[in-house]
Amino acid sequence: MAFQAQLLQILQGPMVWVAFIIFVAGIIGQSIRLYRLTRRTEPEKIQFIANPRKTQKISGWRRWMPYLGQLKTTMLGTSPVLSAVTIIFHICLFITPIFLMGHNVLLKAAVGLPLPYFSETTSDLLTLIVLFCGLFFLFRRLLLPRVRVLTTPYDILLLLLAIFPFLTGFLAHHQLLLDYQLMMILHMGFSELLLIMIPFSKFFHMIFFFFGRFFIVNEYSLGMPQRTWQF
Amino acid sequence: MAHTDIDAAPIQRILKNNKREIKLGLKVCAHCSLCAESCFLYAATKDPKYMPSYKFINSIGRLYRKNGKVSREELTKIRDIVWHDCVLCSRCYCPFGINIPSLIALARQACRTQDLYREYDKEPMGTAT
Repeated sequence: MAFQAQLLQILQGPMVWVAFIIFVAGIIGQSIRLYRLTRRTEPEKIQFIANPRKTQKISGWRRWMPYLGQLKTTMLGTSPVLSAVTIIFHICLFITPIFLMGHNVLLKAAVGLPLPYFSETTSDLLTLIVLFCGLFFLFRRLLLPRVRVLTTPYDILLLLLAIFPFLTGFLAHHQLLLDYQLMMILHMGFSELLLIMIPFSKFFHMIFFFFGRFFIVNEYSLGMPQRTWQF
Repeated sequence: MAHTDIDAAPIQRILKNNKREIKLGLKVCAHCSLCAESCFLYAATKDPKYMPSYKFINSIGRLYRKNGKVSREELTKIRDIVWHDCVLCSRCYCPFGINIPSLIALARQACRTQDLYREYDKEPMGTAT
């Protein structure tokens, strides 16, 4: 028991800072590395459909309709369920821990930063959404042939690692399954491992997504990027 | 040794010169399979072997992991992936922005160094080994 208490103290004390520092420094370092792989270029202006404001005299909300129609050809149209689950999963993955009461009370006590937080019921709901989405991804990986051919044990491991902090946090909060202290050790251990791994593993897509879509000129880029790879 | 029937050096040169691009592509690919629908061959057949991600992971990805030390038989399979299962129409779409056609083109380059390519006059559609 003394060992458990000691372990918990380390995990909720110095290890939190170590994990956060590695997480933030890793993201900054990897972003710089990615940036240095690019060079400036002319922005490309690809207009897939004629600008409806120029070709037709339509006004108000109707002028957005051609753009909405265009969404049908994107992933939102071709895989609507997966797109919805993916978007909801990633949003909840971020906002749940950042606006969780328990976390923010500790944060205020530690550094005096008062962040707003959701009610406990809302946080519970968001956590359950993350868990269900995670389950959806897991079943998809195991059952759909097109995903199964790409799946490696590492993919399953990373998915479980992304889900575990939420599962253990939920169980600890409701004091289910295991002793509270032991569940907290698992919760903090997995969360810190996840933070440390984000910049250096496949979770790196968190940085690359914004980079590849917003900074690099390509057919599918968003906004007006002005850089290209210099591999 | 199985890989003595090919000369790994030129393949290794290609891998070395394009290491950053290949490594980044393999690292970022989340194996989500969302690129599938963007391949017209996949759309027509629903066969996972036509998925753009499957094609680059099992061609240039395999060469990279083995550092070019593959048997001729294995390289022939890679040739079939990058020539018979892909026409390099470059319409594939990756939600993260991985340039899949560029990676498949590298695999074609690697195959060419070993005189493995598609002879269109002798190999009509659907005659992959």
